[in-house]
This record gives sequence, structure tokens and C-alpha cells, in this order.
Amino acid sequence: MATSAFNNPLRAGLRIGRTPEPCTMVIFGSSGDLTSRKLVPALYNLARERRLPGGFSVVGFARRDWTDEYFRDLLREAVNVNSRSGPVDPELWASFAHGIQYHRGSFDDAEAYTSLAERLAKIDTERGTGGNRVFYLATPPDAYPTIVAQLGAHGLAHSRGWTRIIIEKPFGHDLASAQALNAEVLSVFDEDQVFRIDHYLGKETVQNILIFRFANGIFEPIWNRNQIDHVQITVAETIGVEDRGGYYDSSGALRDMIQNHLMQLLCLVAMEPPSVYDADAVRDEKVKVLRAIRPLSVSDTVRGQYGPGSANGLPVRGYREEKGVSPTSQTETYVALKLFIDNWRWAGVPFYLRSGKRLPRRVSEIAIQFKSAPTMIFADTPLNDLDPNVLAIKIQPDEGISLKFSSKTPGQPQIRPVTMDFRYGASFGVTSPEAYERLLLDCMLGDGTLFTRRDEVEASWALLTPILQAWAEGPPQPFPNYEAGSWGPAAADEFIARDGRYWRRL
Amino acid sequence: MSEAAIDINAIERELRQMWQEQENPPDAGGQAVIRALTLNLIARMPDDHWADLAMTVAPALTAHHPNRTVIVIDRPGQTTELQASVQALCTLTSGGRAQVCGEQVTISARGASAGQLTSLILPLLVPDLPVVLWAPGAQPLAQPLVQRLYRLCDRLIVDSATFADPVRELTELATFEQATNGAPAVSDLGWTRLTPWRELTAQFFDTRPFLPHLHRIDEIVIEYAAADRPNPVAALLFAGWLASCLKWTPLEEAVGIEGETIQLYLRRPAVGVGPAAIRLVSVEIRPVAHSAGEGLVRLILRAVDNQRAEFVVELTGEAGHACTRATIAGAAPIERTATIERATLADLLSSELRLLSRDRTFAAALHVAAGLARRFPV
Repeated sequence: MATSAFNNPLRAGLRIGRTPEPCTMVIFGSSGDLTSRKLVPALYNLARERRLPGGFSVVGFARRDWTDEYFRDLLREAVNVNSRSGPVDPELWASFAHGIQYHRGSFDDAEAYTSLAERLAKIDTERGTGGNRVFYLATPPDAYPTIVAQLGAHGLAHSRGWTRIIIEKPFGHDLASAQALNAEVLSVFDEDQVFRIDHYLGKETVQNILIFRFANGIFEPIWNRNQIDHVQITVAETIGVEDRGGYYDSSGALRDMIQNHLMQLLCLVAMEPPSVYDADAVRDEKVKVLRAIRPLSVSDTVRGQYGPGSANGLPVRGYREEKGVSPTSQTETYVALKLFIDNWRWAGVPFYLRSGKRLPRRVSEIAIQFKSAPTMIFADTPLNDLDPNVLAIKIQPDEGISLKFSSKTPGQPQIRPVTMDFRYGASFGVTSPEAYERLLLDCMLGDGTLFTRRDEVEASWALLTPILQAWAEGPPQPFPNYEAGSWGPAAADEFIARDGRYWRRL
Repeated sequence: MSEAAIDINAIERELRQMWQEQENPPDAGGQAVIRALTLNLIARMPDDHWADLAMTVAPALTAHHPNRTVIVIDRPGQTTELQASVQALCTLTSGGRAQVCGEQVTISARGASAGQLTSLILPLLVPDLPVVLWAPGAQPLAQPLVQRLYRLCDRLIVDSATFADPVRELTELATFEQATNGAPAVSDLGWTRLTPWRELTAQFFDTRPFLPHLHRIDEIVIEYAAADRPNPVAALLFAGWLASCLKWTPLEEAVGIEGETIQLYLRRPAVGVGPAAIRLVSVEIRPVAHSAGEGLVRLILRAVDNQRAEFVVELTGEAGHACTRATIAGAAPIERTATIERATLADLLSSELRLLSRDRTFAAALHVAAGLARRFPV
């Protein structure tokens, strides 16, 4: 990208990274939840940590009839509530809010884009943003094509600085729709302007998977089919569908979680070392993993839907009783699946993925289970009593890495599993920045490493779309089939037990 | 905290004992206290005032750098007195339970020789971990204990803000840094305090249209807060940093001093072609009265020739904030407020402990600053 062409001599040896050039971030759907809960608190915290340049500006684009003042007050309140650094520092906020404006318009109103272009040009001269822009689509997905087309029609896709566009998930709902959306976006923008966000990649622990694998010499030699028995990736949520029932009922766990978050985790665990750490080299390797996955059939999957049960000791509704959900819904709120990556490193090693709503604990982790000791020489302990070594990468909560191994019980001829624990919070004693802080900054710096490329999105959909089709065409399921607050349907336990394995108790 | 006579084995025993007492019963739900040591910190404290400071700093460091701290209170005296004590330093969870713990050994000495102290300190270091020696106060390099220990250390941390004869000690520090060549790495907390100033200055020129102005700066003004005895070292280091990054070289007659104001003259490399392209940069360093008490107060970078451009960073009335302002060719200034928090001693140390090797940016700035300081009239 053009950013490498210029070089600030004062940057060398500074202890924080480069700050982006001044730019304007236009947030479409700025009256929504994402803006006040995540985006603006993230931007404010970046400003607070001196990671944003003077002149950085925000334009909120939405339908409601608000003034700049009202919008700023609303955001200030939102930051007070949602920022990890607590209530705003008044002096700092005053300076930050000075750069916030509200632009009223509906997404299909050509007039609103004409006036947006004028407003942006004015900001460029007044605040020195030099034509640099980020468009953030924080709207429902059906508005994406309209906004993209309007931006193109009004010449906003290119400027004398740089222009980038951030697109939230879901990116399509199957292969055909993802391809269609890609085609629409790429008819207006170039691929290197497009930043498809998956906030899981902004999490420190997720980024640490690559550091752990490729900055340590001792793990790579055992990271393959010779030493690893299988891999389990779990993303469990305790919440139900909350107020997203209408959206979720047309989506389901496979689309909402597996296609993006779990596939990303899978790629990071399974990928080959990239030759360099840059956006294309990393994403090339991830795409290779996706393309090496053996096509799935329905028998490789288990689905579930929660019925009434309890969460945190309180009774909760079943999925079909949630607001916006059809009382005969066939949408899955739980998916377990097994897949194989047919390459030299992973041939024959099963990867078990599971994700569900209304499970007992909120936990995301990747567990690498190693093969057991080949023979048992300690006579008093039968071999099948020994726990295998497990390396668990915990993504949330209690971010960290633990290794389970066997140890002698003091004074007795017994062997017990013990764990060696590394906890992020304990070792570094700092709160990790929010995922959105890292991702917004990366986008402004033009670094797409932690964003999803076109071929990645499509490869992931290509793998899962046949399952979605087969489910839709198959017989109706006896839903609900697991109680809210349990670890999913019994069928999922049987599914993995058929392979002589079991889900980790989390 | 328990007292003990100086017996290394007794100290070690006490440390072990302390850990056993910390361990929670191994029930399934309870989380054990984590003893996490990432380095040895030897804090050589010149007097009781500093010793008190070190006692407050060491626990604060545990959060980022759990360590074994050996605080040595190295006071002069006619007769020799030595005492040692041991303490665990823990960060607490929100429930008030100890979570991560480091260790602190305090050796309180009066009239002890450097050899005696060294023989106590060395066996107390945890093996296979980096050793950092923190020696604040005046004349750190002249202290016998420092002279004896520095070769064993990975990093020596001094604080130029506490120098007694700042300009002379700055040149000595530079000589030392050059001679030791990274073994140990040298840190100066006076330099660490400049970090936010350097960040805010550098950020102006992350903006592409502003970058060309950086190469045509003609005048710099650095104002620093001073009470009774001005210490211009931080300002000199800042000037040294700009000069080393931008390849400015001191002129033959580089230094002029008028009262407390220091005037420096450097030559900046050619931007265009022809003899006129080589130009002079003047740097004015002056103390001002300011409520901040110490540190930089205002910074002005100015290009006057041809198109006028001015970049200012200055403290605002509100403590912990600075205003940055870029004004190009008479256009409306681009302003913002940024945080420039007063770092605590623990923050400063913590930031230096994060570095694993020689800080080359600091070394380069130090050598230019010392080169200028050596030309000061005696």
C-alpha cells in the first residue's frame, strides 16, 4: 500500500506503533447499538492512548433527525457506560467530540450522499484529513449493497487520499449470496480497500495463537499428525438470542458462529507458517487450510435447538418461545461437526468444532489433545486411566494457555494429571484492549492481516453451504432437543463417542 | 514481615516458608497463588528517603513485572551495620485474594563496603533471570556498589532528573554508555519521561502532508519547568533525539549560554540542491516557572524559511493534558487535546523493564546531547 512510501524519521525506536494519518470515519447506521457499544468507545480509547492523530473525525450517518450536539451527548453517555477506561475525561472528550458530526439521511437517498461528499470535503480542509476516509457499514446486511452502490455513484469510493470500507458480519448467508455481495462491493472498491471484520481476530488471545506457534521453537515439531490425536474447538455462549430473534431465526449457529469465528480459529491452529507476517502471506495460508478441508456431509454434523431450561439459576424460555422466532422453527442453536484437513500435516487428525447458545458457561477455547504414552510401564496404573496431554488455548474468559501432564502423587504410587497454567492477566497485569480498538486502528493503517479476504469468505461458505442445503432439504428435526443450561443435545455426545472420544468438560 | 540476621540460608529458608504459607489448600475450586518471577531487580538506594520510595515502587511493579527485588539501603557510616528482611509482594484480585506474587528482600546497611554488600546480593539473585540494577540519585556511576555490580547486570537504570551536577553527569553517562556498549544496557528515567513528548511530536509527521516540513525545521524552542536549580538534561536529550533522528550536526561554535537559557546551533542536511540548501537550526532551551515542577512544558518546532509552519506541544492548565497544534502557512491551526499523564516512578521503571536490549534511540540521543554538553563553557 501507499503507506510504505513515506517514512517518518521520528518513528524509529518509539515505543508505541505508528499512528494513522488523519482521516474521517463515516459510520453508517450510527444510531445503532454497535456504534454506541463498541465503535465509539473503541475510538475514544484509541484517542486517549494517543493512538489517533489530531484531526481525526467521525461522521455518523443515519435516518433519525438528530443534531450534532444531540449525537455527541448520546455518544458521550455511551462511552461513559461502555468504555473499558470508565467515564470520559472531560477535557479529552471535548477535543475528541469536536471532530464528531451527524449526517442525516436514509441509505437510498442520493441527495444525502451528495451532501455527504460536500461535508467530507469541508472536513478535509478544516481538519486536515486530506481525503482519507473509512466507511463503516454498521447497518443491517440488506443495506450493504445500497450503500456501496451509492458511494460508488457519488464518486466517494476514491479520493485524493485513501478510502477504505469496513463491512460487518454476516457477509452473505450462503456461497451464492457471499459471491454476489463480493461482486457488488468489488465493482465499486478494490479488494485492498475492503476490510471484512471478524471481531474474533481482534482478540489478543486469538492473535497470540500465531505468536505461540511461530515465535516458539518447541511446539512446531509436535504440531502435526504424528503427535496430535485430535483438536477440539469450542465457542459456548450462555445467552439466548436476546432481541435478535428475528435475524437469528433466518440464520442459525452454523452461519452465525461456525462460518466465521470457528473457521478462523481453525485456520490459525492449522495453517502452515507464512513466509512473512503480512496481510497476504497470512491470508494465503489460511485459504490453503480452508481449501484442504474434506467436503462435509450431513453425517459429520449434529444440530440442536434449546428448549426451556435455566440460565444462572433462573428459568428461561425455549428458543421457539423467543421473540421473533417461529413456534415451529427448524433453526439450529447448536452445531457440532467433525472435519478433516487433507494435507501432509493433518491427514487423519479429526477437528471437532462445537458452538451453541444457552450452554452452561461462556467459554471459547481450542484444545489440542496429544497421543497417549505408547506403553504403560507404571504397573499400578492401567494405561486407560491416564489422561492424555492436552494443550488448551483459552480465548475467553480467563485468557491463557494451559498444558496438562501427568505427575506422581506425593507419597503414593499414583499418577495424577496436573496443569501448567499461563494466564494473560496474571503475567502481564494489564487489561487487553478491546478487539475493535485493534481492528479499527489496523484498518486506518491499511493493514488487512486481521481481516477476512474475499477468497477466505467464499472458501468458508463453499464448505458449509452444502450442509445448509442438505439440512433444508432433509426431514424436520425433533427440536427442541436440549435443555437450556445443558451442554447441548445427547446426540452430540454420541457423535464424538462413536470415535472413542469425548467432549472436554469445560 | 520478619527480621533476620544476615544469613543467606536463613533468607532463602524464609522465602520458601513464605511461599508455603501462601499456598492455598489444593481443593479443586481454589486457585493457587502464582509465584511469577520475570527478573531480579537490585535497587541501590542512597538514603532512607529513597528506600521508602523503593518500598512503594516494588509492589507496584509486581503487576507488570513480578520480580525478586533486592533493596539495598547503602548508607555511609563509621561502624558497619547490616540487617535483612523478607517480604512477599502480591497483586490482589478484586476479591482481595493474592494472585501473582513476587518477592522483596531488603538489606539495610550502614558503613558496609561494596564487597560485603555484593557478597550478600549475589547469592540472592534468582538464577537464569535478567538482573536489573536501579541506582537513582546523584553520581550513580561513582558509587562503589554500582561499579562493582554493573558488569553482572543486564540493565542499569539511572535517573538524570536526580543528578547533582546534571550537565557533567550527562557527559559521564554518555562515556559510560559508549564504553560498556550495551553490557549492561543503560536506561535513564529522565529519558523515559520524554516518551509522551516524543510520541506527540512524531505524530505530527505521520500525516503525509506535514512530513516535508520536518526536514525544513529552522527553530526549536524547548521550555522546561524548573524550581531553584534548573536541570536542562531532559531538554538536552530531547534536542539530542531530534538531532540524531534528523541527522543534524553541531556547528563549531554550537553552544551559547545567556543566564539560564541555552542556545544550540546545528547544521541540517540539504533538502534541495546548491550551497544554500544546507541550513542552520537553532535550539533554544530555557527554564520556566510551572506548576508541573519538573519536565518539559512547551515545545515549538518552526520552519520559517519560505512557507511558515509551526508545530507546538504544550501542557494545558488541566494537569495531565497537553495541547498539540499544527499551523501551516497561515491556515487555521489543527488542534487537539491529548493525555500526557505524569508517570509514576513505577510506570517509568516498568516501561524500561520492558526493554530487553540496548535502547539505540536513547543511545543516539544521549551521545548527541552529551556532545553538546561537552561544549558548554566551564
